[in-house]
Amino acid sequence: MLMEMSWLLWPLLIVPALGALVCLLLRSPKTVLAGVCAVVAAEAVATGAAVWAVFAHGPVEACAGWFYLDALSAYHLAILLAVFGLSSVYAWFYFGHEERAGHFSLRTARRFGALWLGSLGAMALVLISNNLGVVWVGVEATTLLTAFLICLHRSPGSLEAMWKYLIVCSVGVAFAFIGTLLIGAAAGQAHLPAGDALLWTRLRDVAPDLNPALLKMAFIFMLVGYGTKAGLAPMHNWLPDAHSQAPAPVSAVFSGFLLNSALYCILRCLPLVEAATGNIGWATGLLTLVGLVSIVVAAAFILFQRDAKRLLAYSSVEHMGIIALGVGLGGVGVFAAMFHVLNHSLCKPLAFFSAGRLGQRFGTHDLGVLAGAARSAPLWGGGLFVSLLALIGVAPFAIFMSEFLILKAAVDKGDFLVMAIFLAGLSIVFVAALRYAIAAAWGKSSEQPAPAQPLPIEKSTLIEKALVWAPLGLLLAVGLWMPDFLRETLTQASGIITGGP
Amino acid sequence: MNEPIDGLMVLLVLLNLWLLASSRLIACTRIVAAEGIALGLLPLLLSWDQGISGRLWFIAAASVIIRGVIFPQLLLKALRQANVQREVEPFVGYSLSIVIGVLTLAISFWLISRLPLPETPHLALLLPVALSTILIGLFVIISRKIAINQVLGYLVMENGIYVLGLALVKEIPALVELGVLLDAFVGVFVMTIATYHISREFEHLDADQLDSLKG
Repeated sequence: MLMEMSWLLWPLLIVPALGALVCLLLRSPKTVLAGVCAVVAAEAVATGAAVWAVFAHGPVEACAGWFYLDALSAYHLAILLAVFGLSSVYAWFYFGHEERAGHFSLRTARRFGALWLGSLGAMALVLISNNLGVVWVGVEATTLLTAFLICLHRSPGSLEAMWKYLIVCSVGVAFAFIGTLLIGAAAGQAHLPAGDALLWTRLRDVAPDLNPALLKMAFIFMLVGYGTKAGLAPMHNWLPDAHSQAPAPVSAVFSGFLLNSALYCILRCLPLVEAATGNIGWATGLLTLVGLVSIVVAAAFILFQRDAKRLLAYSSVEHMGIIALGVGLGGVGVFAAMFHVLNHSLCKPLAFFSAGRLGQRFGTHDLGVLAGAARSAPLWGGGLFVSLLALIGVAPFAIFMSEFLILKAAVDKGDFLVMAIFLAGLSIVFVAALRYAIAAAWGKSSEQPAPAQPLPIEKSTLIEKALVWAPLGLLLAVGLWMPDFLRETLTQASGIITGGP
Repeated sequence: MNEPIDGLMVLLVLLNLWLLASSRLIACTRIVAAEGIALGLLPLLLSWDQGISGRLWFIAAASVIIRGVIFPQLLLKALRQANVQREVEPFVGYSLSIVIGVLTLAISFWLISRLPLPETPHLALLLPVALSTILIGLFVIISRKIAINQVLGYLVMENGIYVLGLALVKEIPALVELGVLLDAFVGVFVMTIATYHISREFEHLDADQLDSLKG
């Protein structure tokens, strides 16, 4: 059933936009941080209502078909708000610490608040738009809004990372626009009226009649373009710099959702291309290839990584590759990939939270120095240790389950070469990252002369503890037992990618 | 209205080649501005015969003002602040750049002739020129070291995509078109602010030397 309920979707854009403006007027860094949390909470309520409507009554349409929320986008929207919710609360502590140290001025705070909420709005726009042109506008807007979040604290390193991000992603996303134009041209050939030419729902209805050659070209451009933004190898080289130089809350959002929002655009186009090319697995084959390359490249770089945040950044490349691989394999793999989106987006922000707070405490992200962190900073050191374990796929965390299912999809398909490469990549990452995880928990800090005064054992508030243990508890719970509503959601979302009804 | 359109395309090609041959950054900025103004007129010429709607006038005017006036002003201001006049040693020399520019044009004509693209009038010239403009923009981004020149390359690429869009899609909804224009506008705005900070922090605008982050 299709519902015309525009009042449900408008707040998703209006709330963050207004919030961003209000942030520019607030008068102290603390109120900006509190304001950000309040606006994200309001956005979460609006999202809750919209997502509920989708799963209770079917897709929601608004604004003459320009906005459209179905199971796939509603699922991503829920994850977006989870990531932003966690990261906004964390930002309160992270920047609160900097403010006490005098490194977080009102100017910086206002800039942070406005850009943070602005990028939240832009990502929401990507998810609720039905028009592929508007989706593109949203993705490009996220690049521009987040660029200055990377260099919130101006340093040579952060400026370099920001410039690289800005140029590489702008050029990449421009390629995606060429892809969008090609789809528009194909729609014109299929005699869609000009006003409808880029509406995803209309394209889906006529997909089998679209010119396959044009759609193939379009998909290649989209894969390269949005793939750049999603951090898929070999278009990933902006990613480790941006993730390692940005403040930790920003890295958490980059890794937790910015990448997914670009990958989502590829997933949207996948059923169109598959239907137009006659479901021969041309597009999914490409996605499998890109996924495998990402996993292998990331594994190679993780092996020799010493910086905690760069390690986590390459791990994001790996996990985006795993999601692409799962979707590419098809069958149960699509379901598993959707599950993996949730697991990765819950776990990776937590890892960045921990690395960020440890970085503030020790003044470096070097893993050699962070060794033994769990002793002097039990909460964040422990958080880094456990989240690294979860990220490399230790059972019974949910990431193990989704990776296992993707492996099963490869076996079902009889694709043993893919299976072997996937397993090899996972094992390399497992061993390489385990080394550091164990060191973080029990190791001895190697490269730092013992400080004259040992760092005091930190005291953490209840909310900080909840920030660490709530996502981990959730990952553990979902890994052990998947509730019915989640299974149903994942089935519906993956059904849309495989081109079901 | 075939001759003016063809003339405009030839003009675009010549401006592209001129850009590849110029080392003075102020001249480069003016060339890209001229491209922007020329392209703003293109949609008017393309639908001259069918009559021009108010919507089209509006988009053409917005396009000319943003690409032809605002962008160059922003970039010239950034140039003054950074106090750089010319790109002294690009990765690829200026005469070789022109050869490569001509080559992209040849490749584009060859590629487009082999692609199964929809039949619309003027396409014979529009599509190859659009493709070669995109490629030349990319080439400028890769082969030049000064950050402002990379922004110019990005703009040339956007110009190419704009022509491609006009050639491929009959009518892009106005809202999408304005959104794209707005993104380009904010993009250039953000990039010039970025160049300002880079020139202050590093006391140069050499993107080639931004290479401390590795591995």
